Amino acid sequence: MADSPVVGYADALFSVAEAEGNISAVEDELFGFSQTLQTNEDLRSTLSDPEIPVSKRLQIIEDLLDGKASSTTTSLLTMVVSAGRAGDLPSIINAFVERSANSRNKAVATVRSAIDLTQEQRQRLTEAIKTSTGKDVEVKVVIDPSVLGGAITEIGDDIIDGSVRRRLNQLRESFR
Amino acid sequence: MVASLVSLMSIVAFAGPASAAGESVGSCVAEKFEQSLEGYGDGDHISHEDLHEVAKDKKVQEKLEGCLDAPSPILPELTEIIWGGSAFLILLVIMVKKGFPAVKGAMDARSERIRADLDAAEQAKTDAQAVQSDYEAQLADAKTESARIIEEARVTADQLRADLSTQAESSIAEMREKAAADVEAQKAQAIADLRAEVAGIALGAAERVVQSNLDAEAQTRLIDAYIDEVTGSNG
Repeated sequence: MADSPVVGYADALFSVAEAEGNISAVEDELFGFSQTLQTNEDLRSTLSDPEIPVSKRLQIIEDLLDGKASSTTTSLLTMVVSAGRAGDLPSIINAFVERSANSRNKAVATVRSAIDLTQEQRQRLTEAIKTSTGKDVEVKVVIDPSVLGGAITEIGDDIIDGSVRRRLNQLRESFR
Repeated sequence: MVASLVSLMSIVAFAGPASAAGESVGSCVAEKFEQSLEGYGDGDHISHEDLHEVAKDKKVQEKLEGCLDAPSPILPELTEIIWGGSAFLILLVIMVKKGFPAVKGAMDARSERIRADLDAAEQAKTDAQAVQSDYEAQLADAKTESARIIEEARVTADQLRADLSTQAESSIAEMREKAAADVEAQKAQAIADLRAEVAGIALGAAERVVQSNLDAEAQTRLIDAYIDEVTGSNG
């Protein structure tokens, strides 16, 4: 996050999204794309492979997001990949999300769960985190089947782990 | 030696008078006869007749026979006594003055030498005895020392044997303990491995059971429970 090019690109994305007036949608779309990148090694390596022509890489992005994301989001991702920063995309998007939340005086709470949370659950979790930590947060859900059940919330350096995976790990430790 | 020389000189010196006394028979006869011839002849010349007459004269014969008389076997003549006595006295004086001290000195020296020899012999004997006793003492010391060395060697050997025995026993005990510890460690490791394997199998099974049982409803309940947990973890 402290990497200046990453922050610079995040600021640029934020400025464009803000100028376009659809920050919220762009934020969600970029966050979703970031999760896809983190779970798909082939896609990440393909987009950051200098041997593959830029036009081909851009074509891949357009094919992926065609009809699923706004033109602003597609344009922003195209810009970053064209600049050869595809390898930094997850970091840039995280910084962008944080920057966006900060602009609303909120922090980002990344929730990893085996299933998506309902809107009502997100709302309750937001309130619960505020009650627990005193921070206003925006909940970003990451679907992670390895969590098995429950959820893991990361707010900055703080982690609240209530996953079934953790319970199983605790059980495994108790057997040793 | 000096006494012997003086005696020889005295004999030579006084032999003369002794011999003169021995030849005095002839001279006595001649003297008596000449005395008896006095008054015969004409002074310087005496005739045969005078000689026959004198020779037949009884008085003259008696005188001449008197010359033939033997001297006294006990009492020597006076001159001889004087000469002899003088010689004896001189000899006595010389002997007293020179001979006896010389003889006495020689005797004393001889006695002294003999005494010195005896003393030396005594000293040598004492020395020899001292050396002998020294040797005997050294021999005794050597015997004692050899006995001590043998005893020391025996004690050392006993100690060494005991040490080796103790060391061997210690090593055996140590090896036994190590073997027992190894066995125990291997057993513990095997149990731990087995336990880990069993736990892995059990957890794998549990994970599969959990996954199969985690339907949408259960997931929702878990999420709700998590939200309640976060709410409850105030601070």
